[in-house]
Amino acid sequence: MTRYGGMGRTRPKKLTSKASIPVVREDQIDLIDDEVQSAIQQVETGVEKAEESEVHLQAAISAAALGKVSEANIPTPETVLSLIRYDELYPPNFSQPATYIRFSSTVEDCCGCAYHMVEEDNVFLKIMNQKRDASIQCTVDQFEEVMNFFEETAQLRQPFAAVDNPPALSYSEMEESFDVVVEDSVKRFAKDIYEHWKSRRIKNDNHPLQPALKFETGQETDDGDPYVCFRRREVRQIRKTRGRDAQSAEKLRRLRKELEDARQLVALVRQRELARKEMLGIERQIFLQRSEVKEMKRKLGVKDDDEDLINQKPKKKPVEVPMFQRPVVPQLRIPQRQAAEDLQLLEDVQAEKENEILRDIKQNLAKHVKWNEGYVDITMAPLTPSPKKTTYAGFRPAITTQLPTPPSSDSSGNANDSSSEGGLRNFADRYDSPVVEMDDDARKIPSFRRRIGRGGRIMIDRRNLTYHCKMEIDPLKLDRFKYDHDDVDDDLVFERDQYDIQIMQHRASMTVKAREQVALAREQAVQAHAQAQAQAQAQAQVQIQRRLQFDHATASASLGTGQTMGSNPGVGAMTASPVT
Amino acid sequence: MAVRESHQETSGTPDPIERGFATLNTLRIGVKAMVEKDGELRKAEILSMKQRKDTPSFYVHYVDFNKRLDEWIPASRIDLSQEVEWPFPEKNEKNRKEKTATTNNKAQGKNQAQKRARADSRDISSTPDLLTGKNINVSKAQRPSKAGGKENREDETPVNSSFIGSEAASVAGTPRPEFEDVDMVDAGYSDSKDMKDEENGMEMSREEEIEKLRTGGSMTQNPIEIHRVRNLNRLQMGKHEMEPWYFSPYPEFFSDVDLVFIDEFCLSYFDDKNCFERHRAKCTLVHPPGNEIYRDDYISFFEVDGRRQRTWCRNLCLLSKLFLDHKTLYYDVDPFLFYCMCTRDETGCHLVGYFSKEKDSAEGYNLACILTLPQFQRRGFGRLLISFSYELSKREGKLGSPEKPLSDLGLLSYRQYWREVLVELLMQEGRESVSEYELAMYTSMTEKDVHETLLVLNMLRYHKGNWIIVLTDAVIDLHNKRLEKEKIKGIRKIDPARLQWKPPVFTASSRTWNW
Ligand SMILES: [Zn+2]
Repeated sequence: MTRYGGMGRTRPKKLTSKASIPVVREDQIDLIDDEVQSAIQQVETGVEKAEESEVHLQAAISAAALGKVSEANIPTPETVLSLIRYDELYPPNFSQPATYIRFSSTVEDCCGCAYHMVEEDNVFLKIMNQKRDASIQCTVDQFEEVMNFFEETAQLRQPFAAVDNPPALSYSEMEESFDVVVEDSVKRFAKDIYEHWKSRRIKNDNHPLQPALKFETGQETDDGDPYVCFRRREVRQIRKTRGRDAQSAEKLRRLRKELEDARQLVALVRQRELARKEMLGIERQIFLQRSEVKEMKRKLGVKDDDEDLINQKPKKKPVEVPMFQRPVVPQLRIPQRQAAEDLQLLEDVQAEKENEILRDIKQNLAKHVKWNEGYVDITMAPLTPSPKKTTYAGFRPAITTQLPTPPSSDSSGNANDSSSEGGLRNFADRYDSPVVEMDDDARKIPSFRRRIGRGGRIMIDRRNLTYHCKMEIDPLKLDRFKYDHDDVDDDLVFERDQYDIQIMQHRASMTVKAREQVALAREQAVQAHAQAQAQAQAQAQVQIQRRLQFDHATASASLGTGQTMGSNPGVGAMTASPVT
Repeated sequence: MAVRESHQETSGTPDPIERGFATLNTLRIGVKAMVEKDGELRKAEILSMKQRKDTPSFYVHYVDFNKRLDEWIPASRIDLSQEVEWPFPEKNEKNRKEKTATTNNKAQGKNQAQKRARADSRDISSTPDLLTGKNINVSKAQRPSKAGGKENREDETPVNSSFIGSEAASVAGTPRPEFEDVDMVDAGYSDSKDMKDEENGMEMSREEEIEKLRTGGSMTQNPIEIHRVRNLNRLQMGKHEMEPWYFSPYPEFFSDVDLVFIDEFCLSYFDDKNCFERHRAKCTLVHPPGNEIYRDDYISFFEVDGRRQRTWCRNLCLLSKLFLDHKTLYYDVDPFLFYCMCTRDETGCHLVGYFSKEKDSAEGYNLACILTLPQFQRRGFGRLLISFSYELSKREGKLGSPEKPLSDLGLLSYRQYWREVLVELLMQEGRESVSEYELAMYTSMTEKDVHETLLVLNMLRYHKGNWIIVLTDAVIDLHNKRLEKEKIKGIRKIDPARLQWKPPVFTASSRTWNW
């Protein structure tokens, strides 16, 4: 970004893009003649070299240089109002929606039939309709449909017509292309219109009747033809290898299997629903028969335990189990529940009571957890072990994770907040029994934990730290911990939109301020102090997530006091020194 | 021949130009003669000729005028009382000829094929789309040579390019079919090709150029294709009629009709009024087929994806090629987004201008092509388009610059916009100093554009051993005039708050390929 502007006798100072340049008015400086001659000529216009010299452009450029922009005029061919009947062609039907328009239909979607009649067609259609009965007149739209059908069919059947000049398609070939999609009107008028179409096609060397752009034909002639346009960008050639073939085959196989699975699933669902329908029918039958039995019993005065009027247990199970597994079908579940209420079973009632007791216990447990929030219960078999499987004693291994894309700018602010809060909450949860199974590898990873000591001091415990003065280190390992060391010069990186206009402005104003500080040393000191503070704060916030190493004496000192004054950090973390 | 020529070139001696008096019958393509233009005589080169009812007509390019002023003139406007410059195959138009020379011997076969194709202009006009799946071998692909570029009117006239050589002289003015064989002359240059290439290491070969097109998605082109004869005569669009400025690859026989109709909304094209009216009866489109991303009291912007709206975007490109010289339609529209500016009324949203933008520009361009339709030019729409392109860059958090080359009109518009934006920032209350970096950050302009604009305006100066930015009286004057004008006419500017847009994200394949 170093450039030299004016020419002058002495070589001017480097001008870097970040250098602040004073802005002055013309009357604030004394003009020195040499300096007025600035280097307009060395600025590239970006216009094609051959055109740079054009008379009108040069006139406009020099007019602009003199500040007479209004005289900078490049002549262009004139535009005039058309005599076309605009209002008829473009009806005023547009009403603007309140919200911004969203639209995805294509030109083809919006233009109806692609064939448009010409005068020649008009004449033919008139004659044709004269010969026909009034009840079966062919409309313009129908005519266009038919012509369009012929054109499309010809295009489909003779895609290389332009190259090998085949004869026009015969009517029987056209008829072969009739299918369900073709409208009846097309079929009705096709025969009459065919001859007209054919004669026009022949006149046109069997080329499409409507003007078409010239696309690639793959012939040599394409290259030099200025009319050939919109070539496809070349598709990257994928090298064919056996491995790639196998890969694609595997992909296809998997795709097929997945589709097959999906089909199978749908078939099974259908089967299930049919079975369910059948079951409902049977249940209804049972109900009706039972009510008959009830009537009968009443009538005949039969008195027994009415066992035959309620569902027996073995009969009930297969009904209930699928119900719980598939809560997706509520409309089926409701009648089921009603039936259950009508005919309550002893087992159900007992289960209900048991559930109630269990719920009570759970509630008490929850209360206990709440009371103990922020404390660690390290008694044997504690009442409130955290169900979560955590690293032992709340230590979190410092594992590098690659975040995918950075979060978008507008959510970054919130993300910061929530992560720090969330960190605190998790922190409390993590204090559970100090017995967590970890495999050997995980035990060796440097780990940290943050806790709050008396008076709200925040302390960091560490373990498994390597000494980095070790002479013989596996280069692989060295690489792994390459970024573990705190780089003092490194600025902390915050998620934010670098180019957010506000931030850009802020940044710009900050640099201006920074410069002012050079003059005002005192202010600078204050600022630096504030900055340091901010940095320290920020550091504290992100410490848990970052892999840090505490080599400073101060850090270990605070860790030391933390150990004696804070709550017991647990067996594994009794010493603050690394335990590698 | 080649040796002598290259020798001359290196020694920098100006080529001797063969002059002489010409008659109507000896006038031929490539001749430079004095032609009456707007009451003055001006040197012009004959690019094409045709017979119209036995009276010859000449297509001329005025030297040092933009191509958009090229035109068909009757013989009466050529001043034959003055000497003309005869074209020399070896010397004339050295620059352009050399580029042609890069087409090697293959060009011969190609030209022959081309010629055959031309014999019946519709012969290969109906290329089916189905074929486009076929890969073209890019390394072999060749740019239309200049010869190819200029011959747009073969049905009527045997047309040749300006440099085809003196053999042409013998038959000039007397059209006959064999005349086209002279096309082959440019293949004869292949002898000198290698030497030329060495000399002109900077010049892009056609292969390189195609490669650049393919990989860069660039829609601009280098000057190989300049000086093509316009193919359309007149254009009807919306409420206006206008003359096209440049060649555009509309269907070939459109050059035979007097008036081509363009549907204002779908931009479809018709050579027949009946067709056009039938189409209008059926067409339901009333705005560009995309999402509206900006709306204020005055204009709307629509974002249209070249891949999703292929037909519309192709139509747009064909149309804009009529007014943009350095646009190429060589490749398809897929890798571009089109930002279309519209005014609204009760009939719909009327396209007044647009700019295209690569979905992923390797060079960091924030704009590929920009056009205000000629019927809406000189009303400040260009400034709005440019301003909008920078608004998008701000939203993307990027600095951007337009793709080069710029057209003459483009350069003036951009320089004006850059000046206004920078001066406005510099005039801000209490601004005592600023860096180019800061200016770039505020405007989303690249630091290079900032720097060069300051230089062009003679504002960045080296004064008593220090760099300073001088707000010159001229610049302040312009700024105040603009403020005054805005006070009277109202300010038309892009309000970022009304932009409902997030930078679209594309996968690598959807950016370029058709899947
Ligand atoms: Zn339309």
